[in-house]
Amino acid sequence: MGLARVEKVEILAHASLRTTLLSLLQKAGIVHLEEVRREEAGLRELEADVSRLDHLLHRLKRCLDFLSRREKKKLLDKIKATKPALSSRQREELLSSDYLPVLERVEKIEAEQNEILSHVRFLEKEMDFLQPLADLDLPGSWFKGSDAVEVAVGTLPLALKEDLARLAGEDAVWFEVVRAEKRICYLLLFYLKKEKNRIEEKLKEIEFAPIYLPEPLIASAGRDERVTDVIEKGRREVEARTEEIDALDREADAMMVHQDELARLHDALHNEREKAASARLLGATEKVLFLEGWIRADDVPGLKAALAPHEGECEIFIRPALAGEEPPVVLENPKAAEPFEVITRLYGLPGRGSLDPTLPLAPFFFVFVGLCVSEAGYGLVVALLSLLYIKYARPKGGVLQFFRLLFLLGISNIVLGTLVGGWFGFPVRRLALIDPIQDPLSFLILALVLGFVQVWFGTLLNLITQLKNKNYLQGIFVQGGWLLLLPALAAYFLTKQTLWGILALAGASGVVFFASPRRNPLARFFGGLYSLYDISRYLGDVLSYSRLLALGLATSVIAIVVNTLCQTALGIPLVGWLFAALIFIGGHIFNLAISFLGGFVHSMRLQFVEFFTKFFQAGGKPFKPFKLEGKYAEFV
Amino acid sequence: MDLGLTLAVFGGALAVALGGSGSAIGIGLAGQAASGVMSEDPEKFGILLLLVALPGTQGIYGFLSTFLVFLKLGLTTATAAKPSTYQGWQILIACLPVGITGLVSAIHQGKVCASGVYMVAKQPKDLAKPLVLAALVETYAVLGLLITILLLNSIKL
Repeated sequence: MGLARVEKVEILAHASLRTTLLSLLQKAGIVHLEEVRREEAGLRELEADVSRLDHLLHRLKRCLDFLSRREKKKLLDKIKATKPALSSRQREELLSSDYLPVLERVEKIEAEQNEILSHVRFLEKEMDFLQPLADLDLPGSWFKGSDAVEVAVGTLPLALKEDLARLAGEDAVWFEVVRAEKRICYLLLFYLKKEKNRIEEKLKEIEFAPIYLPEPLIASAGRDERVTDVIEKGRREVEARTEEIDALDREADAMMVHQDELARLHDALHNEREKAASARLLGATEKVLFLEGWIRADDVPGLKAALAPHEGECEIFIRPALAGEEPPVVLENPKAAEPFEVITRLYGLPGRGSLDPTLPLAPFFFVFVGLCVSEAGYGLVVALLSLLYIKYARPKGGVLQFFRLLFLLGISNIVLGTLVGGWFGFPVRRLALIDPIQDPLSFLILALVLGFVQVWFGTLLNLITQLKNKNYLQGIFVQGGWLLLLPALAAYFLTKQTLWGILALAGASGVVFFASPRRNPLARFFGGLYSLYDISRYLGDVLSYSRLLALGLATSVIAIVVNTLCQTALGIPLVGWLFAALIFIGGHIFNLAISFLGGFVHSMRLQFVEFFTKFFQAGGKPFKPFKLEGKYAEFV
Repeated sequence: MDLGLTLAVFGGALAVALGGSGSAIGIGLAGQAASGVMSEDPEKFGILLLLVALPGTQGIYGFLSTFLVFLKLGLTTATAAKPSTYQGWQILIACLPVGITGLVSAIHQGKVCASGVYMVAKQPKDLAKPLVLAALVETYAVLGLLITILLLNSIKL
């Protein structure tokens, strides 16, 4: 149960074997490489240049992103899509194929498209800018003004037009309204160059905002071209450019046939990069390579077999971890409990001397989520959906485990939902053990009893951990004391029998005399007495399980609310059934989503905060074997 | 409608209004943080949604308590119960735990979730930690709900 045995592996090999050895290890995928402590052994570092591969990978990634944006796959197809298999022979063929022309072609299409797009955007912005002035019936060359006359265009708030008229009366300003909108009007102004500063000052006072026409626009306009002509010219250019983009689009579509190949190439190259980079972990002398790592004890024969062809040039040493070493952690559980490793991993892998909490937490988590959601109908939906997802999408690794966990939680809900909840808000009275709405107290007692059992069990696991780590006194007297004290105290309060009281006192004395590590007997006694105060923590922990009732009730009541609303909707003539169906489906989906979220999070919290704190210490590092990994393809 | 029934209905209204207001503020806080993160990294929508939705439960607890009050008063059926003035006060008071704990805890849970959103932005693999921290805050709303349910259950009309 719990943790797989992991042993240290050390390999000495001839320097000429560098690439072959790393390739073989990567293919085998069973060794977790660790950096060799070179200084201690007086070894030198191997050089590994991965910048060329990094650059190539970056280009490929960009290219694939560009192509994947053009993909027109439906959601269902995306879910069903499986990674194509890639054999080692195909991998080599890919790596030696001439892929650069395709890559360059796609890059060129993307670059050209981007350039044209930004030009089109610029043109469109200019046309927007000119649009209000379209009615201005003047040749473009006029905007430059003449030696004596300044020409300006700009906007003015409509309300201030009177002021401008007055200004025009006083000074040598001539103006015409080109276009009037709701609040502002566009104006064309002429005034004398020699009075420019004074007039512009006055114009500013009446909130005239000049529009500065872009130089290139004025320059590009022919002598006699009017604003409308410029706009028309821009429109034609946008059209022509859009056609170019369409042509490039078609070209890019034609490149889509290469998408899969490029994706597989990306994966193959990525693994080449990883292989090259892993050489940095090694140590070397002139002629010899030294490699350190970890391996599961079960995989040792596999490693020996993989390296058998090079037996003469390398030597494998396997040994158990030394006292100062921290081997990476591999969780190993029976198949039924495996999905619950998801929960353990979310908290952190077991640290040194701690046991794997997966198996102990599995039954509790299973039951808690069932009680929190307590809806058999939702359980059925979730179980079926996760089964379908596993069957058609074929997820791997962590995702697969998560969906298997969801499936199990669905099953848990089918069972517990029938016993303490209902099917879509309708209780099955004959099968129900407790109706939480009619009889919340029984449910509360059930929740607290479950909590007590888990807290007690956590303490028991602490005792086991202490014994394993040869902490006999602490383990037996303190943890053992709690184990005796807690149930005895509970029994004493319930039955008031002296026997239980005596047992409780016996347990408490174990805690009082051994909890404090101090030598001084008085300090030891009072320290122990103080740690007896922890009983309030135990009490709080057990009460915390009352959330199971609250969350379970929440689901049931909301399901009933949905059904009540449905009934009300059915009363509407003609379309009532339609509304009722919509409310039923929508309401139950909503309730399912939030009750599963709440049930999952709160059950997880009960494990992490109430259960794990009793015995578990995280801090282990995960076992990450050096292996072939693909984002798009799967290596076989 | 006499005073007893009025007080009871007022209690029910308080439960849903306080819990809902708290949730609205809490989700608002977390939602703003999530939008900020998503402006940089739109693909995080799925996991951030969990954190943003979490302060929503208090509103639901309030709603559910109100519904229990309705059931108790028989407001969904044709014949409504006629609680005495004292019973009306009792129902009103029974609604306060879920309302007040919901209001306060949802706001603070929203703050925890908002900082959790920033944490997930930097450490996407550590989603469980902010979720658990947020659940720590929610505990008190759950306890409030629990007491409200037990109190309502113990009031005999």
